[in-house]
Amino acid sequence: MNRQFRRQQVRRDLSRRQFLGRSAAFAGAVALGPTILAACGGDDDDDASAGGRSLHVDNWPLYLDEESAALFEEQTGISLTYTTVVNDNNEYFATIQPSLSNGDKVEADIFVLTGWMAKRLIDLGWVDELPLADVPNASNLVDSLVNPAWDPTGKFSLPWQSGLTGIAYNRAAAGRELTSVEDLFDPEFSGKIGFLLEMNDSLGLVLRADGVDPESVTFEQAGPAFDRIEAAVSDGQIRQFTGNDYQDDLIAGNFVACVSWSGDVGQLALDEPDLAFVIPDEGGMIWSDTMLMPKGGENVEAAAEWMNFCYDPVNAARIAAYVGFLSPVTGVQEELRKSEETAAMADSEVMFPPASADVVAFNPDLDEEERAQFDDRWAEITTS
Amino acid sequence: MAETDDRSLRRGGWVPYGLLSPGVLWLALFFLVPLFTLVRVSLSTQESRFEQKFSFTWEFKNFSDVLSEFGDIFLRSFGYAGVATLLCVAIGYPMAYFIAFRGGRYRNLLLGLVVVPFFTSYLVRTIAWVSIMGDEGPFLDLVRALSLDGALDQIGITDNGRLLATEWAVIGGLTYNFLPFMVLPIYVSLEKIDIALVDAAKDLYSGAARSFRKVTLPMSLPGVFAGTLLTFIPASGDFINAEFLGGPKNTMIGNVVQQQFLVQNRYTSAAAISLILMVIITAGVLVYAKLLGTEDIA
Repeated sequence: MNRQFRRQQVRRDLSRRQFLGRSAAFAGAVALGPTILAACGGDDDDDASAGGRSLHVDNWPLYLDEESAALFEEQTGISLTYTTVVNDNNEYFATIQPSLSNGDKVEADIFVLTGWMAKRLIDLGWVDELPLADVPNASNLVDSLVNPAWDPTGKFSLPWQSGLTGIAYNRAAAGRELTSVEDLFDPEFSGKIGFLLEMNDSLGLVLRADGVDPESVTFEQAGPAFDRIEAAVSDGQIRQFTGNDYQDDLIAGNFVACVSWSGDVGQLALDEPDLAFVIPDEGGMIWSDTMLMPKGGENVEAAAEWMNFCYDPVNAARIAAYVGFLSPVTGVQEELRKSEETAAMADSEVMFPPASADVVAFNPDLDEEERAQFDDRWAEITTS
Repeated sequence: MAETDDRSLRRGGWVPYGLLSPGVLWLALFFLVPLFTLVRVSLSTQESRFEQKFSFTWEFKNFSDVLSEFGDIFLRSFGYAGVATLLCVAIGYPMAYFIAFRGGRYRNLLLGLVVVPFFTSYLVRTIAWVSIMGDEGPFLDLVRALSLDGALDQIGITDNGRLLATEWAVIGGLTYNFLPFMVLPIYVSLEKIDIALVDAAKDLYSGAARSFRKVTLPMSLPGVFAGTLLTFIPASGDFINAEFLGGPKNTMIGNVVQQQFLVQNRYTSAAAISLILMVIITAGVLVYAKLLGTEDIA
């Protein structure tokens, strides 16, 4: 009976990355197989058989506005099946693994995963090259994301949105401005500190405080940062590892401060002016979620039209205004400035961080065994 | 009597099997086959975390590995589930007793109230606890208003004034979520008791306590037995309560299975943990049934 409840739960529209990791739990039902995913996916098969063109995109929740989706269908005549089943990289990986490792196709024509996971899929050979020749707007990709570390040739992935990882905190509860990763380890806030379950974000931030570069960290170099987080768990400093639900804990006063993503806190601060997001003095993290095409997908042409649509600055600006993270498309800032409604966003340092912002990506070149060492150590700490 | 039964059975010999077949088929497809796969995977080696290719190698090391790595989490899970089960008996038995013997014409209404929480998703109920038990939530507000916070800290229910992310939050959540599974079977067994037997005990000069101990309690034991199983078994494999109400130090074995399967992609370890859990619970239930002498209703 519980499983059934959980499955219903998965279908609830959770905010992006909400319950990340935790959701892996009740998504167990989804993981039962592609058939259930297909059931969630809708009826694109019917459209295909009717002779129309179709496209199936799996993305994170709250990552696309309805207007853009409708506009795409209207302009291209392509029937779009857009799902928000991606709640967590590992969890989504577990759902596609049985098919792709077997050489079978999956339902989605495009899915959006974070850079480090994109690298894994590219290395495994489970994704096809993108039809970039048919995506003229791809030239609008911001310079900093051309040939990224996870995809050095730039042939397999096209970024969807990027974001920053820093510290969110409640000014009133903290009683002062927080500026440093060290504040997360301040005994004054014992039991009131949250860390993200996503290792790259949490570990990355502590690595920066330790002066280790997350872009090239080895397991050995990460040792002290792991130990530090582990000690903070065992002495009760860290109360909980969360996904996007850190927002609830911040608002409810369970957390004074936590590791958090950039886009969310800006929105929350509208209602709770005491909440603030800060890139710590030691530096923050930047990550990107990126579009990928699983091996053997048939709707290549439709996929190209989708990418082209999303990389049009006007469309990209509409999506960015809805999402609130960092758009990978040049010209978005100018587009946002054009409309009175969105002009304020164009000046947001969270959406358009200044070039001086000290942020790096967690992108060490790890082979499978090294990555497993990281994952195992992290699992040991988060479920001790 | 027996002879006629035999004959009718012989005449329509296929009928019982026909009636059984949907259940047998169901169990074979959805229990035996997966169980076989589970055993196989638990004894295999997985070449890569990212591939689902297993070679069956009688890898008993999987079992010793997970036992040494997660042994303490196994113990913790059974501990939490055990305490939650005891609390369920302590809370549920009086409830069932009251409904069965004192409920009168409100009996069905009261039973309905026991079941009402099921109209809301299990997950939603657990998440509701997160709000209720939050640091600034209504429960702790009340505790502080009554100046009981110090006392609760003292006896270890709260940790530094907080309830969430502690073991008692997890145990409390388990108790709350599984309580109806305790109340209903106990109610059924109590309700079947012929009240004349209790009267007879009184006629024979038994006091209330003694007639309860000698008549009511033994006759309701099958209900307690069923209730404890329905509570303890799912509670020890539960991961929702630990996920939302517990902290990183209150992980239960269900969380580990989930993590091994869906995050770490270590199918062999996950399968081994699941099997160990099944074996321990099955063995425990058999011993328990023996002790309680209720094999016939098990």
